[in-house]
Amino acid sequence: MGLEEKLPEGVLTTSLESLVNWGRQNSTWPLLFGLACCAMEMIATGTARHDIARYGSELFRASPRQADLLIVSGRVSNKMAPVIKRIHDQMSEPKWVIAMGICASAGGPFNNYAIIQGVDKILPVDVYVPGCPPRPEALLYALDKLREKQGKETFAHYRQLAANDAIIKPENIESLDNMRAKQFA
Amino acid sequence: MLNVSPTSRAYETLPGLNDITIPALAPLPTGETEDTKRIVERFGEDIIAAGEHDGQQVIYVQPDNLVDLMQFLKSDPKLAYEAMIDATAVDRSKLPIGNTERFHMVYQMRSYQRKKHLMVLSPAPGGDDPVMPSLSPVFQAAIWPEREVYDLMGVKFTGHPDLRRILMPEHWPYHPLRKNIPVGGEEVPFSMTFDDQEFETLGKQILPSNSVAPTLPPGMSRQNMILNMGPHHPSTHGVLRLVVELDGETVVNIDPDLGYLHSGFEKMGETKRYKDFVYYTDRMDYLSSMNNNYGYVLTVEKMLGITIPERAQVIRVIMSELQRLASHLFWLSTHVLDVSGPGMSLLMYATRERERILDLFEMVCGARLTTSYIRVGGVWRDVPPSFMSNLQDLVKMLPKQFDEYEHMLTSGPLWRERLEGVGYLSREDAIDMGMTGPMLRGSGVDWDLRRDMPYGGYENYDFKVPVSQAGDCYARYLNRMEEMRQSVRIIEQAMANLPDGLYRTDERKVSLPPRAELDVSMEALIHHFKLMTEGFRVNPGMYYHGIEASKGELGYYIYSDGSGVPHRLHVRGPSFNNLYAISKMSKGEMLSDIITNIGTIDIVLGEVDR
Repeated sequence: MGLEEKLPEGVLTTSLESLVNWGRQNSTWPLLFGLACCAMEMIATGTARHDIARYGSELFRASPRQADLLIVSGRVSNKMAPVIKRIHDQMSEPKWVIAMGICASAGGPFNNYAIIQGVDKILPVDVYVPGCPPRPEALLYALDKLREKQGKETFAHYRQLAANDAIIKPENIESLDNMRAKQFA
Repeated sequence: MLNVSPTSRAYETLPGLNDITIPALAPLPTGETEDTKRIVERFGEDIIAAGEHDGQQVIYVQPDNLVDLMQFLKSDPKLAYEAMIDATAVDRSKLPIGNTERFHMVYQMRSYQRKKHLMVLSPAPGGDDPVMPSLSPVFQAAIWPEREVYDLMGVKFTGHPDLRRILMPEHWPYHPLRKNIPVGGEEVPFSMTFDDQEFETLGKQILPSNSVAPTLPPGMSRQNMILNMGPHHPSTHGVLRLVVELDGETVVNIDPDLGYLHSGFEKMGETKRYKDFVYYTDRMDYLSSMNNNYGYVLTVEKMLGITIPERAQVIRVIMSELQRLASHLFWLSTHVLDVSGPGMSLLMYATRERERILDLFEMVCGARLTTSYIRVGGVWRDVPPSFMSNLQDLVKMLPKQFDEYEHMLTSGPLWRERLEGVGYLSREDAIDMGMTGPMLRGSGVDWDLRRDMPYGGYENYDFKVPVSQAGDCYARYLNRMEEMRQSVRIIEQAMANLPDGLYRTDERKVSLPPRAELDVSMEALIHHFKLMTEGFRVNPGMYYHGIEASKGELGYYIYSDGSGVPHRLHVRGPSFNNLYAISKMSKGEMLSDIITNIGTIDIVLGEVDR
């Protein structure tokens, strides 16, 4: 029944959405960006024993324009917050954020004047990793969770996002009839 | 006024901790030493007090004579206090002492020739708006610490070449370490609905950041190219920002911009009980948390005047040296990665060995990085039985690995070419800038706190201190490699001489009773309760203690008012003072040599910014 019967052996069918998601899941490139203690565990995740390459994420990109994933690895100070916001803005869609460790998630032990109580006050966060700092295994688990999330994404979601970010909202676009009517009035 | 600290944190000060009736003035030094006698002879009436306090030499001096005194300390051959290790300030406005100046400046002086330490104190005149003479004409080492004091305490320095904020953003409204400024942060809401007023302050801590035109740091000219490196840069080892003035590819000027990881450690220290701050020290220099614990704990033990069991001391030495190895291995891997050569492969090799050290840490305390293993009175737990055999294996394997790394690096031409003659620092500059650790020894100063001012039983070990005269990056690289070999030697000796006995002092006023004792002894239960709720009290006074951490001298200065929390806690981070040398080292060199110099200084931004 269906198309599969007619196809020769070795050919699969899938939806374009799943194909794209499959690609994104298996080559999420993180940004080469460390803040504090958690960054050391992030580096440890990248080295031989924990080997983040199994996730296709070994390519830490130094430029935000080439990265898909921002791992906020450490405490975010008031002075650093605008910088992080800007880096996140410079990353192109689709992009994801992992708040690594308790400081990035909620401020952690630094409930004081200098530290922002959670990076989610300035960025949308996809996965929170508890721990101070989280072990490399915890970061890999967070990547697993992120893959789950990436697998469920749809094109409609991105269309919606683009519409939300648009300067003129779809409902505010004047219809052609209206414009004509104005022109000839 | 910006709403940066909307709440007063009443719950932080538990009743009984900050007992106001305790006479809080630090006791004046008594007696006299050879040095103080000489100083008093020279300055006479202008010395307010001089002498010793708990084995530390202390001098109180009038601010008008401060610069003269420092000149005298530096130039007099019989005193020869040639280096200023640290400068900080104390805000005494909340102490019940009246009639003295609110701010006091505290300087730590060091004589390398005579192996002496001296604390110099001076009141800052001007009440709430204090003004001090700057010591930057005498010591270059004073420039950054004075900027820090201005930033965090609001003390102004006359004659300072460059008095700007160093850690906080330019538009920050307060001087956060002043006692009348609250800790800040946010109340944790315990409410279940978002309509409650408890949520009102949530998120208000973020300052509005308007786009501002970048200001040119002083001393730079727009005739040349101004390049911005960082705070997001792969080779600045964290969130360091450098403003670099370039003539072609040659560096004309560098202005480091710090504070992107400023976390308010010192302010937090003033709200935590003594035993609770150990956990914070881990997060300062997160590559050598054991050493951070060690330095802090030794300072508190100096204040308490307790003795530590032999076994605990030896375990501490093992941990401290293991941490030095782990830190140096990480330095090597990132330095090589930045400078190239066998880059990525050496990162993989060196971190492989580092992981084995972290496994050992996990074995003794369950954590890899933030260990908090060394506690006041000893260590947290005894080492498990399998620890020693694992350590034995590691120690046997490591020297071979070091040989392999050295072979990989020194046999190729690239590594030597990038390092030799780069980042030169003369002996005089290294001392004058307050360099410590491998930076100092790389420039030919034979100084190691473990050997020259021994602490924690280091006098019982036989090890060499590598020193080289060349003063360039290659010399510092060789020194650090040799230091790792010496650390292995120390560990071997410690393993051979590990005595049996207590791993923690049985002084119940500072260390918790074992769990089994709680079931049978009422007294133990009371001690446990008191320690857990109030902590312990220490003698009033001011104390400084420095240890040789992997990056240099890690010092803790604590002003105690006799209560359960420090009145002022200041950390002298080696990376902060060492980083000052970056502009001197890089001027006249190529842009790419800046990366080599950052690597060789071995900074950790958590410690630079604190």
